[in-house]
Amino acid sequence: MNHRHLLPNEIDLVVDGEAGFGVAPLRAHVLECDECRARVDDARIVVDALDALPHFAPDSRLTDRVMSQVPVFVPAHVAARNSVTKWLPQPGPARVAASAIFASAAGVLTVALVWLATQGDAAVFMTGLLGDRIRGEVVGAARDLVVALLGESVYAALQGTGAIGASLVIVGFVLAAVSTVAGIRRLAAAGRH
Amino acid sequence: MLRALDLANLPDADVVALALDGRDAAHRELIKRYERPVFSLVFRMVRDRELAEDLTQDTFIKVLSHLDRYRTDFKFSSWLFKIANNVAIDHLRRRQLDTVSIDGSPHATTADAVGASRFDISDDGENALEEMEARELGSAIERAIASLRPEYRSCILLRHVEGRSYEEIASTLDLPLGTVKTYIHRARHELRRALEHTRE
Repeated sequence: MNHRHLLPNEIDLVVDGEAGFGVAPLRAHVLECDECRARVDDARIVVDALDALPHFAPDSRLTDRVMSQVPVFVPAHVAARNSVTKWLPQPGPARVAASAIFASAAGVLTVALVWLATQGDAAVFMTGLLGDRIRGEVVGAARDLVVALLGESVYAALQGTGAIGASLVIVGFVLAAVSTVAGIRRLAAAGRH
Repeated sequence: MLRALDLANLPDADVVALALDGRDAAHRELIKRYERPVFSLVFRMVRDRELAEDLTQDTFIKVLSHLDRYRTDFKFSSWLFKIANNVAIDHLRRRQLDTVSIDGSPHATTADAVGASRFDISDDGENALEEMEARELGSAIERAIASLRPEYRSCILLRHVEGRSYEEIASTLDLPLGTVKTYIHRARHELRRALEHTRE
């Protein structure tokens, strides 16, 4: 028999049911030594009482009180994913069909973009052509407006003076509009007084 | 959409991930899982039900508002208990600063000065809530726990009520493992003496 009595920390090891290296001899000693067994039993009374302590329940409204003060933030990527998921059909044949259609459309689009990228010259030519067409339409519409509002002779004069003349006409028009509005407001104010 | 039943079967880390995705139900599940352990720890630390409710609420608000700071290599419950313990200890420290000793002012230098600054507390006015608390925390072991130093109390409650290992307690309370073992050993020793005294 080992005559060395257990140290306080060794009693803790035995009471805690530790299974580490060196605990088995301590247990064996406890079985043979009345004094150490009494000390272990004494320690176990406290540990058993502690282990039997119950949990307490808080107020049933705790969750709602907490949640009223916690901002639940949905990250942008999750919101986007949720939106996509919302529009997707339920798993099954419908989802497979939708996926197939989406994959086909994406494939066609990708092929078209790749083709366009390889046709750089053609793309530049087409863009230029489109730009000329749009500019011609805008200039034609502006000319029609000026002729309709001011007459052919004014348009001819404007054409003669170029950009400076056009700028002067626009500035004059804006000044006239502003002074007209200001005059009307002043008249209205005088009428109220 | 995950149902409540599914959430209940998920490990903490997955529920936290869902909460970080902005799912209200995941937040509620985390509260449901830990409201009793956290409340019990805090209640036994501060020994005032109403205050423990408030501190438990503060703990969950802190935890759920800063879930993005949670590191997944740490156990969620350990992180939660760490915050709960800090909230309770902070409160006890503040209260200690605010408290006037019933034994008289610590600055009193003469017996007369001590007597003049001492005041008596009558227990006639114990209300229903206090009676309930007295019942809940009234057993000999609960009273003995209340007499422990707060650091010992945290360790002993985490060890025996929450069943945490020494290593988990050390990581939860940011203490060296040896310190945790010492605290628990001393706490058990003090409890044993307190209970012996009660039995006598």
